[in-house]
Amino acid sequence: MARLIFSKFLYGFAVLAGVAILVFFLFQGFGDPARLVLGQSGNAETLKNIRKDLALDQPKWKQFILYMNDLSPISIYSKEEIKEKNIHGLFLGNDTKIGLKFPYLRRSYQSKKSVSEILMDALPATLMLAFAAMFIATIFGIALGVLAAVKKGTWMDTTAIFTSVLGISVPSFFMGIVLAFLFGFLLQSYTHLHMTGSLYDYIPFAGRHLQLQNLVLPAITLGIRPMAIIAQLTRSSMLDVLHQNYIRTAYAKGLSKKRIIWNHVLRNALNPVMTAITGWFAELLAGAFFVEYIFGWNGVGKVTVDALEKLDFPVVMGSVLLTATFFVLVNMLADIMYGILNPRVRVH
Amino acid sequence: MYNKKYIKGKVLIRIGLFLLCSGMLNACTRDVPPGKKVFYYNETSGISSLDPAYAKSQSIMWAIHQLYNTLLEVDSNLVIHPSLAKSWEINEDHTIYTFHLRTDVYFNDDAVFPGGKGRKLVAKDIVFSFQRIIDPKTASSGAWIFNDRIAKNGFIALNDSTFQLKLIRPFQPILGILSMQYCSIVAPESVLKYGADFRSHPCGTGPFRLQYWQEGQVMIFEKNDHYWEKDSLGKRLPYLDAVKISFFDNKATEFLEFRQGRLSFMNDIDPSFKDEILTRNGELREQWRGRIILQKHPYLNTEYFGILVDTTNPLVKNSPLKIKAVRQAINYAINKPQLMMYLRNSIGYPAERGMVPYGLPSGNAEHVKGYTYNPDKARALLKSAGIDFKNVPEIKLLTISTYADIASFAAHAIEQIGLKVQVEVIQKSLLLQQTAQQQALFFRASWIADYPDAENYMAQYYSKNPSPPNYTRYRNPLFDALYEKALIETNDSIRYTLYRQMDQMVIDDAPVVPIFYDEVIHLVQPNITGFYPTSMNMLELRTVDIKLEEK
Repeated sequence: MARLIFSKFLYGFAVLAGVAILVFFLFQGFGDPARLVLGQSGNAETLKNIRKDLALDQPKWKQFILYMNDLSPISIYSKEEIKEKNIHGLFLGNDTKIGLKFPYLRRSYQSKKSVSEILMDALPATLMLAFAAMFIATIFGIALGVLAAVKKGTWMDTTAIFTSVLGISVPSFFMGIVLAFLFGFLLQSYTHLHMTGSLYDYIPFAGRHLQLQNLVLPAITLGIRPMAIIAQLTRSSMLDVLHQNYIRTAYAKGLSKKRIIWNHVLRNALNPVMTAITGWFAELLAGAFFVEYIFGWNGVGKVTVDALEKLDFPVVMGSVLLTATFFVLVNMLADIMYGILNPRVRVH
Repeated sequence: MYNKKYIKGKVLIRIGLFLLCSGMLNACTRDVPPGKKVFYYNETSGISSLDPAYAKSQSIMWAIHQLYNTLLEVDSNLVIHPSLAKSWEINEDHTIYTFHLRTDVYFNDDAVFPGGKGRKLVAKDIVFSFQRIIDPKTASSGAWIFNDRIAKNGFIALNDSTFQLKLIRPFQPILGILSMQYCSIVAPESVLKYGADFRSHPCGTGPFRLQYWQEGQVMIFEKNDHYWEKDSLGKRLPYLDAVKISFFDNKATEFLEFRQGRLSFMNDIDPSFKDEILTRNGELREQWRGRIILQKHPYLNTEYFGILVDTTNPLVKNSPLKIKAVRQAINYAINKPQLMMYLRNSIGYPAERGMVPYGLPSGNAEHVKGYTYNPDKARALLKSAGIDFKNVPEIKLLTISTYADIASFAAHAIEQIGLKVQVEVIQKSLLLQQTAQQQALFFRASWIADYPDAENYMAQYYSKNPSPPNYTRYRNPLFDALYEKALIETNDSIRYTLYRQMDQMVIDDAPVVPIFYDEVIHLVQPNITGFYPTSMNMLELRTVDIKLEEK
C-alpha cells in the first residue's frame, strides 16, 4: 500500500513538473511583459530596471532554472534571497543554503502582490462556486433522474431527458450569457439578481456583507452540465434497479411505492452516481474559468484570464499549477481509494 | 408516524426558506448610514497598486490622487499651482529649484506612526519619495521622469520646510513633472515597514485614506478628517465622507449600474451604447436631458496612426510608405470631420493641425498647419511619387479591437485613392511589443500628455529617444537640433515657438496620421456638485459635494 501511495505521489509530482515546464515555454512566445509594466513613456534605463526586477534580463535558460528553483520544494538560495523573498522552510548551510520549503510562486508583474496571496484570496470564491454548482447539480439531477425513471415513457420522462440532453450540449459560456441577460437584466425587476457580482459586497460605514444572490446564476450555469449527466445516470441506474428481483419482492411484501423508490431503489441506484459526482468536482474547479469571467465572479478563473491579458506570467503559472494540483490530488485519491477497495488494482 | 415526520420536514423547509429569503433581503436593504456622502465610481481597467512609484495608468493615477499630494498641481487651465510647496524660487541658470513647504501638513493617521497619529510632513519625506522613484531597486515605471535630468544627489532637504532640487541642465517642464502622480509624497515609515506590500498599505497626506480593499472587487476611501486644504469659506475639504470604487470590467455593465443610480459618474462612453445617449452632434439625446449631466472638456490626448520611417528597417524598405509623398497622401485621404461625426458622435476634434492637441500654452493646434480632406491632392501626390497602382504592395494597418472601426474607416478612405490597405486587429500586448520593437509598419496609437508641456509630445520624434517614446523612429537632424535648443531654452515664449516649428516639421514629414484630439466625456448624476473635468482628465474629488435626498 505504501508503495502504491509513493508511486502515485511521484507520478503526481512529475505531472506538476511537466505542467510547469510546458507553461514556461509556451509563455515565451508572447510579448514582452516588461513593456506592459511600463506606461506609455519610458526610457532605456527605466525599462532596464523593470527587466532586472522581473528577472527578465537573464538568458532564457537561467530564467527557467531560477524559476524551477523557486517552485521546487528542494531548492538552493542565498541568505539575502531568503530574506528578500520571505521564504519559509528548513534551510541548511551558511551563505548559500539548501533546504526544503513551500513552493515560492513569486510576485505578480503588474501589481507586485505575492501570487500565493492572490490565489488564496481567489480560491474561497472558486470553491464556493464549485460546491454550490455541485449541490444544485446533485439535487436537481437526482430529482430529474428519479422522475424520469419512475414515470418512464410518459411526457415527464421525455421532457426530463430532453432537458438533460440540452444541458449537456449547450456550452457553459453561452448558457452563462443567456442566463445573465435573461435573469440579470430583462427580468431583473422580478429576480433582483445582478448580471455580475461577487460573494461579498462592502458598503462604506456599514461593512462587508454576504451577497448570496450573486451566487445563484453562476452556480446554475456551472451546474447545468453535471446536472444533466447526473440525471441521465440516475435514470438508467434506477431503471436497472427497478427490474431487480428484490424490488419485486418488496412490492410483494406490500410496501408503498414511495417507500420502495426512496428507500430501496434510489439507495442502490446512487452508487455509480456518487462516483461521477466526485469526478466532476475537480472538473468544476477548473472549468469555472469562463463562467467566472462572464459573471465577474472573483475566483481563480477570473484572476487567470485577467493575468493572461496582461502577460502576468507568475500569476498564470501559479493558477495553472494550483488547478493542476487539484486534478492530481483528486486522481491520486481516487486511485488510492480504488486500491484500498479493489486489491487487483494495487501495483506489485 | 409518517404524517408527523412529513409535517416536521415541511416546517423545517419553511424555516430554511424563510432564513434564506430574509438573509437575501437583509443583504439588499443594508445601506450607507443617512447623512453620509459617498461618491461611487467604477474602474473597468482595475487598480493594480496604490504605490505612486507605479502610477503608470489613469486608473492608478486617479486613486493615487485621492490618497497623496504632490509639491505642485496643475489646475483645469493647465497652470501650475502650489500644493505642498507654497512657493518656489528658480536660480538664474534654471538648474536649482528651491521649494518652501507648507508647515501645516500631516500624514494620514496610520499604525506605522507612534500612537497611530499622522506626523508632520518635512522636507526629508520629499527627498525620500523622489529618491525612491529613481532607485533601481524600486523598479518604478516612472524612473524616466528624473533619469538624466536630476544631478547626482540632486534632492536636498535644506531644513524641515525647504526642499531643493538640482538639475544637470535646464529643463523647463520640470515643474509640470513634479505635478505628476509619480511625484506623490509618501510616508517613509510605511514604505520601510511594508516593502513591496506598500502597494496595499498606502500612507500619504491626501484628502482620503484607504479604508478597505478587496482586490478586483471593491475599494473604499474614507475622508481624512485632518486634511490641510480648506475651501474659500474656510471649510475643511473634502466634503465627501467616502469614495467607493467598483471594478466591473465591462463598460456596458458600468453603464447599467450608472443608469440604475448606483454610480455617481462615469468616464468615457463605449461604442456599444454611445448612440443611445448622444446624437451625431455630441449632444445628449432628448430622453436623457435632465436625468443626467454631460460634461465635456478638451483632453490632452492625440489619437493617431503611426508610420515606421526608419529606412534601414526591411519592413520599410519594401513598402510604399517609405516615400514622403505617399504618407502625405494618406493624410489627405481621410475625411476626419466625417469620421468624428459617424464613429465618435462628435466627441473630440478632427486632428487637422499638428500632433500637440488643443489646450496647451504653446498653442500648436492654433498655429501648425496640418492636412484637410482632399482626395484629389492625395491622388496627385501618389502619381508624383510614381506609384504603380496595379502592383502596389498591400499595407497592413495594425490596431486593437477598440479602434477597429476607426481603422476600417481610414483603410476604406485610403483605398479610395488607390492604395491597398488591410486592417489587422491584434491583442494590445502584442501591438505594444511590435511597436516597441519596430515590427509594426502602420499602427494605431495615442499619446496622452504625461505632463502639460508640448515637450512631452515632441520627445516622441527626437531621434536619440528609443522606442518608446519614438515609435516611428523618426530621424531629422534639424528637428533634433531644435529639440535640444528648446530643452535648454528658459524663455517660455521662445520655447513655444520652437515647439510649433518642430510640430510643423513632423507634420510635413508625415511619420504620423493624426486622427483626432480627444475630449473628456463625463456622465454625471444630477445630485453631484462641484465636479469638473480637466485637460489631464484627473479625477478631482476634493471639492465634490452631494445633494442628499430629503426623506
